[in-house]
Amino acid sequence: MSRTNIKQRVDKTLEQYPAAVYKNRKEHVLVKNNTFQEPQTITANTRTIPGIITNRGCCYAGCKGVVLGPLRDAVILTHGPIGCGFYTWGTRRNKGKTRGDELNLLNYCFSTDLQEGDIVFGGEKKLRQAIKEAVEIFKPKTVFICATCPVGLIGDDIHAIAAQAEKEYGIKVVAFSCEGYKGVSQSGGHHIANNGLIKHIIGTGDKVVGKYSLNILGEYNIGGDGWELERILKKIGYEIVSMMTGDGMAEDLKSAHKATLNLIQCHRSINYIGEMMYTKYGQDWLKVNFIGVQSTIKSLRNIAKYFDDPDLTARTEQVIADELSEIGPVMEHYRNILKGKTAALFVGGSRAHHYQHLLKDLGVEILLAGYEFAHRDDYEGREVIPSIKADADSKNIESLEVSADPEHYRVFLSKERYEKLKNEIPLNYYAGMIKEMDDGSIVVDDLNHFETEEFLKILKPDIFCSGIKDKYIAHKAGIFSKQLHSYDYSGPYAGFKGAVNFARDIAMGVTTPAWKFVTPPWKKEPMLEGSLVG
Amino acid sequence: MKSRNFVNLNVNPCKMCMPLGAVTAFKGIESSMVILHGSQGCSTYIRRHMAGHYNEPIDIASSSLNEEGTVYGGEKNLKKGLKNLIQAYRPKVIGVATTCLAETIGEDIRRITEEFAVQEKLEGIEIIPVSTPGYGATQFEGYYTALTEIVKKVAVDTEQNGKINIITGNISPGDVRNIKRMLNLLGVEYILLPDVSITLDAVYKSRGYTKIPEGGTRVEDIRKMAGAAATVEMGMTVMENMSPGKYLQDEYQVPLYRCPLPIGVKNTDTFIRLISDISGKPVPPQIQEERGRLLDGMIDSHKYNGEGRAVIYGEPELVYAVAGLCLENGIKPVLISSGSRNDSIQKLLESGPEYPEEKILIIDDTDFETIQEYAVKLKSNILIGNSDGKIITEKEGIPLVRIGFPIHDRVGGQRLVYTGYDGSLKLLDDITNTLLENKYEKYRQSMFERYYAGGRDNTVNQTELKSSLNQSTAEKTENHPCFSSCAAENARMHIPVAPACNISCNYCSRKYDCLNESRPGVTSQVLTPEEAAIKFVEVRKKLDNLKVVGIAGPGDALANFENTARSIQLIKEVDGEIIFCLSTNGLMLPYYADEILNLGVTHITVTINAVDPGIGEKIYREVNYMGRKITGVDAAKILIKNQLDGLKYMASKGVACKVNIVMIKGINDSHIGEVVKKVKECGAVMTNIMPLIPAPGSVFENMPLTNSKELNELRKKCEIDIKQMYHCKQCRADAIGVLGEDISAEFRTKGCGGCSMEVENNPGGTYTFAVASKTGMMIDEHFGHVEEFYIYKSSASGTRFLEKRSVAQYCGGEEECDDGETKLQRIIDTIGDCDAVLVLRIGYRPSKILQDKGIRVIQTCGEIEDGIKYAVKQLYIAKNRLGSAV
Repeated sequence: MSRTNIKQRVDKTLEQYPAAVYKNRKEHVLVKNNTFQEPQTITANTRTIPGIITNRGCCYAGCKGVVLGPLRDAVILTHGPIGCGFYTWGTRRNKGKTRGDELNLLNYCFSTDLQEGDIVFGGEKKLRQAIKEAVEIFKPKTVFICATCPVGLIGDDIHAIAAQAEKEYGIKVVAFSCEGYKGVSQSGGHHIANNGLIKHIIGTGDKVVGKYSLNILGEYNIGGDGWELERILKKIGYEIVSMMTGDGMAEDLKSAHKATLNLIQCHRSINYIGEMMYTKYGQDWLKVNFIGVQSTIKSLRNIAKYFDDPDLTARTEQVIADELSEIGPVMEHYRNILKGKTAALFVGGSRAHHYQHLLKDLGVEILLAGYEFAHRDDYEGREVIPSIKADADSKNIESLEVSADPEHYRVFLSKERYEKLKNEIPLNYYAGMIKEMDDGSIVVDDLNHFETEEFLKILKPDIFCSGIKDKYIAHKAGIFSKQLHSYDYSGPYAGFKGAVNFARDIAMGVTTPAWKFVTPPWKKEPMLEGSLVG
Repeated sequence: MKSRNFVNLNVNPCKMCMPLGAVTAFKGIESSMVILHGSQGCSTYIRRHMAGHYNEPIDIASSSLNEEGTVYGGEKNLKKGLKNLIQAYRPKVIGVATTCLAETIGEDIRRITEEFAVQEKLEGIEIIPVSTPGYGATQFEGYYTALTEIVKKVAVDTEQNGKINIITGNISPGDVRNIKRMLNLLGVEYILLPDVSITLDAVYKSRGYTKIPEGGTRVEDIRKMAGAAATVEMGMTVMENMSPGKYLQDEYQVPLYRCPLPIGVKNTDTFIRLISDISGKPVPPQIQEERGRLLDGMIDSHKYNGEGRAVIYGEPELVYAVAGLCLENGIKPVLISSGSRNDSIQKLLESGPEYPEEKILIIDDTDFETIQEYAVKLKSNILIGNSDGKIITEKEGIPLVRIGFPIHDRVGGQRLVYTGYDGSLKLLDDITNTLLENKYEKYRQSMFERYYAGGRDNTVNQTELKSSLNQSTAEKTENHPCFSSCAAENARMHIPVAPACNISCNYCSRKYDCLNESRPGVTSQVLTPEEAAIKFVEVRKKLDNLKVVGIAGPGDALANFENTARSIQLIKEVDGEIIFCLSTNGLMLPYYADEILNLGVTHITVTINAVDPGIGEKIYREVNYMGRKITGVDAAKILIKNQLDGLKYMASKGVACKVNIVMIKGINDSHIGEVVKKVKECGAVMTNIMPLIPAPGSVFENMPLTNSKELNELRKKCEIDIKQMYHCKQCRADAIGVLGEDISAEFRTKGCGGCSMEVENNPGGTYTFAVASKTGMMIDEHFGHVEEFYIYKSSASGTRFLEKRSVAQYCGGEEECDDGETKLQRIIDTIGDCDAVLVLRIGYRPSKILQDKGIRVIQTCGEIEDGIKYAVKQLYIAKNRLGSAV
């Protein structure tokens, strides 16, 4: 289908909306046109339209579910009615493994289970008691309190309670005002969590770390992705100070400011911490992508460039060569199966970009990609940040101002080297998704249930990568779907070995014999041949 | 039962929120959509959870309230949402359910939706608002509330149609299909609400996929529910205010019949019979055949099922039905629990005929952390419930049979058929097979270790030796009236050969030997070992059922060890079969341990009131150990150490050890749980928690009393850890006879002769009570110490206080006892018109005299009101017993 053709079909789909909705939605959808001189722009991170079924979650989901959730040594206490806590209990598949006798609270769900009476008379007393009980039973070093919708309205002062509890029990207690209605999606919650971690956790530890030390930001260890990264990075010789936050520990985060370089995997959910650590501690951040074989290789080489150590560079190349020799033949096998297939992706705020690399490694063409809750910079690159207008909703999320920390601020690169490197590697910079997309492909922000159905009809991709909510729409349409939020109980998909897992899962799904039976044989051809015997 | 939720922290919730239940209900209506009024996260989370279970697209719209809507009201968002929803989906029914947010800001969805319908000139679209605050209740209540609102809004056609309304519980689409199949086999016309059989488990169609799934109860049919012949509602545990059937009955006089979910033979019988009776249609052969096959299967698998100890959790209606299936198959439900608040499960189960003798623990409003704790304590070997219980499987290795919602870690949750005779058999098979699989996983190895490897290994030989000793002790335990409540018919004899004590407890008074007191530490005479042996021979002549000889003081058996040992030897010479039992404070237990074993003592009771010296210090005034007098915390330290060491040693030698604990309010009541755990570790087989009797003259004379409710609550709590003695009568040191009927007086030189204790009179329906009370609040006085009796009258119309009657005290200790006779007579005259007297304690003689006069004596403690209730019950039973004899 030509670019013009696609554009027409997309427009026609959107025209089915009532006028006001049409006007809104057409700003969120574009068809990539490589003939344009000026970069294409898209509208993102604005209010969801009521009634059309969005895939977006709430502020609480971003804070508790995404950023804080994977920390395994903290009691994350949901202050609110039971539903919110329940629905975030073990649903993100962020894996964690306890070493030795460390505390692991990952498969626990803690809630104050507010009742009608608490909504009327306030839930502060219950929260105070719940913290006490949690501390007494589980003896954590860190307690996070996450607010849900009613908390902001009934006026519970969770921050004062946190401060008081911190004093009383001699442990870290941090409150997050991440009421579900704040902001326009889970993105607001990411920001709130980032602010809290910078304010209260990062910078409070004093672990001694070496020169080749890294923090991995925005890696949530879904299906074990983080473990694969850690394996590769440690094989090369890097020291991982902290993982933010997959299989991470609040205890490790405390000393994150000691690491030399921050790697950012998911830009959307954690770039605030990256930026604030740059300002406060002088640490540079490097945008990496460990999804896809080629992008993993590129990321590893970029990190080596930053440290600029011949030994390290040599080891990096050695590891890349070793890994490639191991996975090469298998990847080739799957590439032969998948070459020429087409895919549509709609995930999160980074994965819809990251997975394009892995799919391209396998010869799959991308027809559509979109984010649920990203901002314009995730689509168009960080250069557009100054031109993003703040609206009422974004103003409701605190934008934390930090300044250089007199004790811990230090710079690793010389000014000259920094300027030089900036042109070679994505240092403190993310280029966004759109630039890399093919001519004629669709980019869509906040794809909803209706558009999913319509676009799948138009594009008929072989593969639809999304989440569980829209997984079954694809299935009903006879299209193989792959959950990229939870990996359908599979993974890891990151790094070298993860790429093989992904390739295998995709090949398996596309070629499953079940698809052949979709049309019953009696609709294809007569069942019996021959004639009646007289 | 108190669960963790009444505390403040819910750890691993066993419940979801109301909106989820409402959505499920609406999904069973044809051509319907739901919009949740609130933050969009609610819709997203619920879609995510339902999609994971049903493996279907779950469309739930949201009004996507943000900060602005929260401050200025969400009306604009809701109306906009409704408009967009109608445009994109064209539904016939729209459920508008609220969330925490909308309810907290006080949105009036009824007005908003009515206004919207007028503004938009809506035709052919039913908008049904339902109030479902997430903090209001759980998904269970949300489901039935939504159904009721649907019926209220739509069911208006009262024209009689002869159909039967069927309200199904929240069951799988597969189960709904099965229920429809049964109804079709019965040949009845019905309206089933809600019908999720297709909407939440659609068939694959290569073409013709529709945005709103096909199927569901038609609005036209719901309309006719008001004119149906009857409603059959699967909702035994559903509150009336959220029961659609109750509404139809009240509003349109449609007769309501309630039944459990048809899971298990009995519950399915109920359902099938109801339908058959209402419709007049016979039960068709196919259903009869299915019933027969279920029974055949039940009989085939009963041997394995008998080993099942199930923990059942989930929505009240489901756990009630599943409990029924377990009970009728001999699977013991050790814990039935729900995250919803619902007390009807307990009431329903207790009234059922299969309710076992051993009480089932039922906890509502609970979390998985609590369930896990009990699953381990109660030695459960199977969990039955939704996927969230897998956390217990992962941590404790108890296997899980998945049923209910959500099942997100296995496929096919939406297709499970566990209803009807066929479905029940499938569920039973799944349970049986899970038990078998778990049992046989290590079958060969455990058999090898037990029967083969053991014979060749010396250390194992020792163990076997010990276990054989245990076996003979176990047999004896069966016959011991204090250790086994089943041995109540057996008599025991305490020989008071040990007058001295080596510790001073603050609750103890051995000052005077009043004949009329009955409590530990009291005896009328001390015997020498020889006298004891002679008395034993005398008593044995009269009591064929004498099985046990015990030494319980009046001091401490081991502080007088020579007497104790000599008495046992002498008695053993005359009767080799008798069980010997010692009661001790344990101070000298390690010291005499081996000698005690050589004497053939098989049962020991150690009184351990604390395992924390800090608390022990408050109970024990002084310890006299090896010739040294020790006080304070050091005393408690030595005592506790010796108690526990001794206990451990005796238990390791196969002696059955019971631990007595005196519950002293404000001193050790909150510590007893810890004592119980510790002594269990040390090998005690049971504990006996006793209330403090504030003995006059003791330091604790004025301590508060423990009422029987508190006592039994504590016992019940501790029962999880260790067997409890509920039948303790706190006997005298020279008690003789069966528990509770001390006939020691018969064997004393002075005292009254043997007389029977039958209830003499039938008091009729109105009773007068004399209550021994110091303050008029509690029954807290000994009969002999009463200065004023409180007189109450109880009749069908209630209980009221009549007056106070003053009497002179008759008991002032032994020296005053000579003229006690006349004083006693005076008291009895004062209350001669009463039907019963309620006292904390009473001596044998006065009690006997009162009973002879037709005044029933009731020894109890706690509040007067409770005491009277108890007394009325006793009198009623006595009256009926007499009546049946006539």
